[in-house]
Amino acid sequence: MIDALTQWLKSTWLSKVFLHNGGWSWPLSETLHFIGLCMLIGSIGLIDLRLLGLGKGIRFLDLHRFVVFAVAGFALNVVSGSLFLIGEPDQYLLNHAFHFKVAFFVIAGGNVLAFYGTQFQRLKLLGPDDVAPLPARVMAAISLICWIGVIVAGRMLTFYRP
Amino acid sequence: MNAFFIWLESSSLSLWVRGESGADMAFPVIISLHAIGMGFLAGIASMINLRILGVAPKVPLGCLAAFLPVAWLALAINVVSGVLLLVGYPTKALTNWVFYVKLLCLAGALWGFLHLRRQVLLAPTPLSAARLVAYQRVAALATLLWVAAIVAGRLLAYTYIHLMS
Repeated sequence: MIDALTQWLKSTWLSKVFLHNGGWSWPLSETLHFIGLCMLIGSIGLIDLRLLGLGKGIRFLDLHRFVVFAVAGFALNVVSGSLFLIGEPDQYLLNHAFHFKVAFFVIAGGNVLAFYGTQFQRLKLLGPDDVAPLPARVMAAISLICWIGVIVAGRMLTFYRP
Repeated sequence: MNAFFIWLESSSLSLWVRGESGADMAFPVIISLHAIGMGFLAGIASMINLRILGVAPKVPLGCLAAFLPVAWLALAINVVSGVLLLVGYPTKALTNWVFYVKLLCLAGALWGFLHLRRQVLLAPTPLSAARLVAYQRVAALATLLWVAAIVAGRLLAYTYIHLMS
């Protein structure tokens, strides 16, 4: 099944164009992937750290405005990351580092859903000096660990190419 | 210069970084730490710049100083991991002009970060909106320099002329 998927991805117009246009699209996508990483870690990092108790005096909802950069960075990285996958599927689909990256990704995604589903309404009312409830603090810690895990697994891709 | 590169590349620390002394996980670990440090340093510094530029206007600027220790830790991680990567591949970095562009961009971005920390985050009395405008040019420039440093850093893998001496 993975073989069929690999063959199909490689046969797509996007895969052929992405890899055969003079070689600039791969480095460019990598660069955008790193910029997206900083946008995501910068904004989510501040919000998670506030939930964990740093930055007293800042209302959660006021700081939460930075989340647009997390969404933008994430979108940028889904697009650039998909291009890598479409361009060189064999480097990823059978790569254990990629499996770890996807696993961290899925946990982080579930965590985001749980956070907005169960915590966000309560956190909206949090005052500038209030401590976040325990479930929100646990989710903030899971978020930080998972995004760091995504970065580490992503960097390991090069060293675990099949 | 060549003799210096050859001497450094044959040192035990350089061999360790390149994974040629048995510990073949050194390089992946160092490069992962460099990426994590980048995320937190460039990320937090840029978010502070964006706050000065008008994003999340209700966040008190002085309170953002609480996040500075995280940025300093990330800076320390990246200075150490960056120096180790340089010891591992001195010829690769120092014979590539893009590496010097990266260092210059970093120097500018860090200067902007320190300047805004002192003048804005640690200001004895909170700055009025009108006075904050005076720092917006520095905040915009510093953010662009972080982006440029990341672009140059990523392109090091594609632009080097000599890998080793």
